[in-house]
Amino acid sequence: MNAYPRPNGESMNEAIGRLPAAVSVSGLHRSYGDVRAVRGVDLEIAPGEVVALLGPNGAGKSTLVDTILGLSRPDAGEVRVFGYSPREAITRGVVGATLQDGALLEDVSIRELLTMTASLHRAPLPIADVLRRTGLTDIADRRGKLSGGQRQRLRLAVTLVSDPSLLVLDEPTVAMDVESRNVFWASMREFTSAGRTVLFASHYLDEAEEFADRVVLLRAGVIIADGTVAEIRSVVAGRSLSATVPGVTLDRLRGLPGVVAAELRGQRAELVCADSDATARALFARFPEAHDVEIGAVGLEQAFLALTTDSATDSAADRAAVGTTESEAA
Amino acid sequence: MSMGFLLFEVRRITRARKFWVVAFLFPTLMYLMQANLFSGEIAEKTGVDFSSYLLGSLAAFGALFVALNVGTRVAFERSSGWQRQLRLTPLTATSYLVAKLTTAMVVALPAITVVALTGFALEGVRLPVLGWLHLVLGVWAGTLPFALLGVFIGQIASAETVQVLTTVSHMLLGVLGGALFPSVAFPQWMQVVSAVMPSRWLAEIGHSAFGGGQTALAAAILAGWTVLLGGAVAWRYVRDSARV
Repeated sequence: MNAYPRPNGESMNEAIGRLPAAVSVSGLHRSYGDVRAVRGVDLEIAPGEVVALLGPNGAGKSTLVDTILGLSRPDAGEVRVFGYSPREAITRGVVGATLQDGALLEDVSIRELLTMTASLHRAPLPIADVLRRTGLTDIADRRGKLSGGQRQRLRLAVTLVSDPSLLVLDEPTVAMDVESRNVFWASMREFTSAGRTVLFASHYLDEAEEFADRVVLLRAGVIIADGTVAEIRSVVAGRSLSATVPGVTLDRLRGLPGVVAAELRGQRAELVCADSDATARALFARFPEAHDVEIGAVGLEQAFLALTTDSATDSAADRAAVGTTESEAA
Repeated sequence: MSMGFLLFEVRRITRARKFWVVAFLFPTLMYLMQANLFSGEIAEKTGVDFSSYLLGSLAAFGALFVALNVGTRVAFERSSGWQRQLRLTPLTATSYLVAKLTTAMVVALPAITVVALTGFALEGVRLPVLGWLHLVLGVWAGTLPFALLGVFIGQIASAETVQVLTTVSHMLLGVLGGALFPSVAFPQWMQVVSAVMPSRWLAEIGHSAFGGGQTALAAAILAGWTVLLGGAVAWRYVRDSARV
């Protein structure tokens, strides 16, 4: 089962202490033409950690993931997976990956695809076991069209066949319905309860908040925050304030006193405030029509907002990345 | 070489019904049509009647027709992202290409056999057992460079251009190579062009089953094409894997 069997009499902690990091990235740079997708990333993930990789579109998440999987070669820097090169880690079946739009075939059944995949690995899991874990047993012999959620579960099943020690997931629950999402996270819990490592890139902050031991925040190709969910939240002092404000602009929101970060979704303003009382007073004074005001603790989502839109010390490249986030949010 | 992956590939191709209908019907119908339109003896080969001669040509065409179609699926699998998916498994790119080549060879054999059986059953073509083996197995062995050509087209083409490239190749090989229509009716300049086409020599192996013919020369020329196209596939493979 485990790629690292430990000798008898050795404690788990001793064994883990000697293990190489599940993922070790140092000084990583990768450009595509003029676009510097990743510019100087160092990241160590210990065996057994569940790490969420978060960041706005274009932050370099996919490039980082591709490099760890050996699908993309770094311009500079080094990547090791359990001490192996990315390709070697794949060949040995210690890393498995589920990509967002990973291709599947329509001319084979689920069982056939899994059987072929198993034939490529040295010590695969039993197919029936993989089917059960991903909730695909009932449709194992089906060929052709699958729903978005079924496809995503099949991608996960293909990944689990090799019984990897590290699972890399790029936007794993995109296009999943509620049922598929539940099955997915249940199988993830089963997977990690045996001490395996998971690195997942996601847009869903609630999933990161609920599932990850650790959050790595990426913006414009560099890591801007790295810690537990609680640590990330505590980086951002203050309170969150949200309100429906007809006719407001992002600039006017930023101009309110005490505002650290602002985002606008339609008429709904999401603010992170150093002094929420002052902000609220000014908000009502300047926008009498503001309503549905909620003030609360800063969640991961607000912390994410504050960290990815803080422009005090930004370079031009960073501002460009922030501009992208805002236009998407608007 | 991964047996599991090879069986998987062969199973996939056996399921492609449209592929088989075209692979079996097109060469067979071309054979029947021409064998019934024209008759008599081939002037340069006394004693060999036209329907026998044609059988050699169309067996070759049937073989190269399906062999090309398998390799070109590589282009679709690249653009669909399936190749990228396979790169997340221990399967090597070499095993992938070898499986494609083997699959092309596997489907070529029944394609040749169907044309041969049609000649036997419907056109009364008769050969000793060794002659049939020469026709079917000889043409089959000579299919290898065409399987390589299909894979090479699959490597260089996109999903949009692959169909055009395949069709052009079918036509050039079939018409200019004299596998689809007999080259004996060609004007002089086309005879010259025909002499360098590998399909001209694949058909020659088919024709030689009925006596005479330049089997050794044909085998040597096809071996040359195999080396050339094998080199092209390998070159492209090295280039693709360097561009990660």
